Amino acid sequence: MILPPHITPLGKKRPTGSDRTPIYALVGNPNCGKTTLFNALTGLRQKVGNYPGVTVEKKIGECYSQHGRPMKIIDLPGAYSLAARSPDEAVLRDVLLGRREDTPQPDRIICVLDATNLERNLYLAHQILDLGRPVIVVLNMMDLAVKAGLRIDTDQLAAALGVVVISCSAVHGKGLVELKLAMSRSDLPLARHRWDVPAPIAPAVAELQASLSDADAQSPLIARAEALLLLTDFESVRIAGSKPLSARTTTVLAAWKQRCLREENNWSGTLIRSRYAAINALCGEVLRRTRTQELSGSDRLDAVLVHSVWGWLFFGFIMGALFFSIFSLAEYPMNWIDAHIAALSSGIKTVLPPGDLRDLITDGVISGVGGIVIFLPQILILFFFVGLLESTGYMARAAFLMDRPMSKVGLHGKSFIPLLGSFACAIPGIMATRTIENAKDRLVTILIAPLMSCSARLPVYLLMIATLLPAAALPATWKAGLMLLMYLLGTAGAFGFAWLFKRTLFKSARPLMIMELPAYQPPRLKEILRQMVERSWLFLKNAGTIILGISIVLWFLTAYPKHPDPKASAEAQIAVSFAGQAGHLLEPVIKPLGFDWRIGIGLVTSFAAREVFVSSMSVIFGVQDNGEDALPVRDALRAARWPNGAILFTPLVCITLMVYYVFAMQCMSTIAVVKRETNSWRWPLFQIAYMTGTAWLVCFAIYQIGRALGY
Amino acid sequence: MSSALHLLPLCQLAAGATGRICVINGDDGFAQRLREMGFGEAALVTKISGRTTSLCQVNGTRIALNHNAAMAILVEALPAGVR
Repeated sequence: MILPPHITPLGKKRPTGSDRTPIYALVGNPNCGKTTLFNALTGLRQKVGNYPGVTVEKKIGECYSQHGRPMKIIDLPGAYSLAARSPDEAVLRDVLLGRREDTPQPDRIICVLDATNLERNLYLAHQILDLGRPVIVVLNMMDLAVKAGLRIDTDQLAAALGVVVISCSAVHGKGLVELKLAMSRSDLPLARHRWDVPAPIAPAVAELQASLSDADAQSPLIARAEALLLLTDFESVRIAGSKPLSARTTTVLAAWKQRCLREENNWSGTLIRSRYAAINALCGEVLRRTRTQELSGSDRLDAVLVHSVWGWLFFGFIMGALFFSIFSLAEYPMNWIDAHIAALSSGIKTVLPPGDLRDLITDGVISGVGGIVIFLPQILILFFFVGLLESTGYMARAAFLMDRPMSKVGLHGKSFIPLLGSFACAIPGIMATRTIENAKDRLVTILIAPLMSCSARLPVYLLMIATLLPAAALPATWKAGLMLLMYLLGTAGAFGFAWLFKRTLFKSARPLMIMELPAYQPPRLKEILRQMVERSWLFLKNAGTIILGISIVLWFLTAYPKHPDPKASAEAQIAVSFAGQAGHLLEPVIKPLGFDWRIGIGLVTSFAAREVFVSSMSVIFGVQDNGEDALPVRDALRAARWPNGAILFTPLVCITLMVYYVFAMQCMSTIAVVKRETNSWRWPLFQIAYMTGTAWLVCFAIYQIGRALGY
Repeated sequence: MSSALHLLPLCQLAAGATGRICVINGDDGFAQRLREMGFGEAALVTKISGRTTSLCQVNGTRIALNHNAAMAILVEALPAGVR
């Protein structure tokens, strides 16, 4: 039976009737308070994951209707428009259009609008209403709008749009009961959309809509909305894991796009103008300004915080506090974790009889996973700062300030946020690149992010500095200075390579950046804490599983084949093991850098994660107890000799080794994330080649020049 | 009053001045996003600060544009007191 076009056929896959859990999508502009609303509605009943193929967080929560029935809510990424310009926005578009295999198409949509900026927020709402699903419009931040002298007639807005409109202030929990009541209704009205497709586009929309309904099995209204998007998109972002267009639709679309180009029509501009005309007419009816806008508190703060002098001073203060916290405050919980892991390890050693199983658990699993867990305090502190900066609205100001220095190397201010994150760990840093719209800029940022010295390099730096500089002989400032030098070297390298890449591989028009600076808000600690827990859990899960597997493999490589003499020392055992053989094979390559085969083993094993180098050194140089601090390792390293009796860890070698770790790509988890983000092996492999290649060349130069100078 | 419009890029608009957006150059996707954010032709924009990275106010929201973006937007400076 053929249905008339205004009737939407019911979905085929899901059961129908009132027993099925309704699925709500939560959509809105960035900074409209959507996430606060999501948290307020669902509390702790949330699941955070990833959309397969893209590193965009997928959040699904559950809440109960007035009648006690469960309702699912999908928190979709914030966007200004359904015309996607970044992977984040592409996820929003594809979920709403039912093009994601991994996510059910939402039945109903909650569209959150920032009441203080109604016109712009209505633009997305206008596109959402096109979809022909029941929509609840939530006017959030009503308290701020009232303060700014804006009066919005919600009844009139509801009457004009034909949907339920709820005014709300999610931060203060106002309007949530009304929203839940509306969500519980079984008879949500469909939008009465008083808006026609502009005449010049109408024939194209009609043909494409027909093709989308027939060949792509989209319902008529969704097909119309998708046709509008397809016809007016310029560089639409396509993401992995979304259903592609059918062949017929692709042909129809290409033909119309060609025609549009030939006739030099600006369909996109026409459509946007037509939508804004409808929105302005609507705002004329429902919005009244009771007084002219004056300088708000945010504006007064901005006068200082983005000032060309005071702004930079404050920025420097914030960055100083961030690094101080990461490197000094985190030490206490890190020592605590370290001690407990050591205690667990020695506890197991007393319980289990000596043998391979015991070694696998203590040397493989515990030291491997423990090596990751120990960085948790630093990562929590970084996420706390990032959360604080984001929730107060300062992050956008920092990106604004950093835009000028970043532009010198061809990037813009938005790339600063991922690079900042990479000081703790490149993984969340790379995940934060998803807000960068330009694909080339995003890729360059991903490629250089691992050059920022992450917290996993810290143990290597600390061990080398301890070996290099006897504790008593030199003041602590020397150590701090050396450490700072390594951080600066990595940052300079990152900027240098960004400059190089933007001029060679990723030549593109100079990047254009447009970024909203949201109004300042007091930090919401509960939300920051929640985000810290969520992100750390993702970090542990992503990194922990890979590290666990690699640790077991590495343990096997150092434990087999067995030394013919069962009583052989750990050092002798490693020499004959697979890892030892690899170290010997590697020696000719790394000897010009001043490294011997034992350091070579460390380089190989720490390919899993840089901090593994320290534990490898302690095993290889015969430090029996893994659990103690770097002191005995340091002494063991100082005592190490080449076969001819020369000192192995000379100051020059220590510095060379630190520089090697500044540049070399030694992290499996980062490689996995880059592979997932770029959806190919090409870029992670390129990254390994260019970073490790640079490390070798720079170290070669330092060591050989140092030798020539007599060090 | 001269009949021909005197257009200047947004980055050259003086701090505190208000202008009307007349032409948006630059790539199509970027122009589309600007228009979608209410930053389209005929919108009034007040410059707050900046010559390289510009800070502007449009419709009550603060928007930062980098130098290239601000170069691509041509505005007509309006006499003081229009807003």
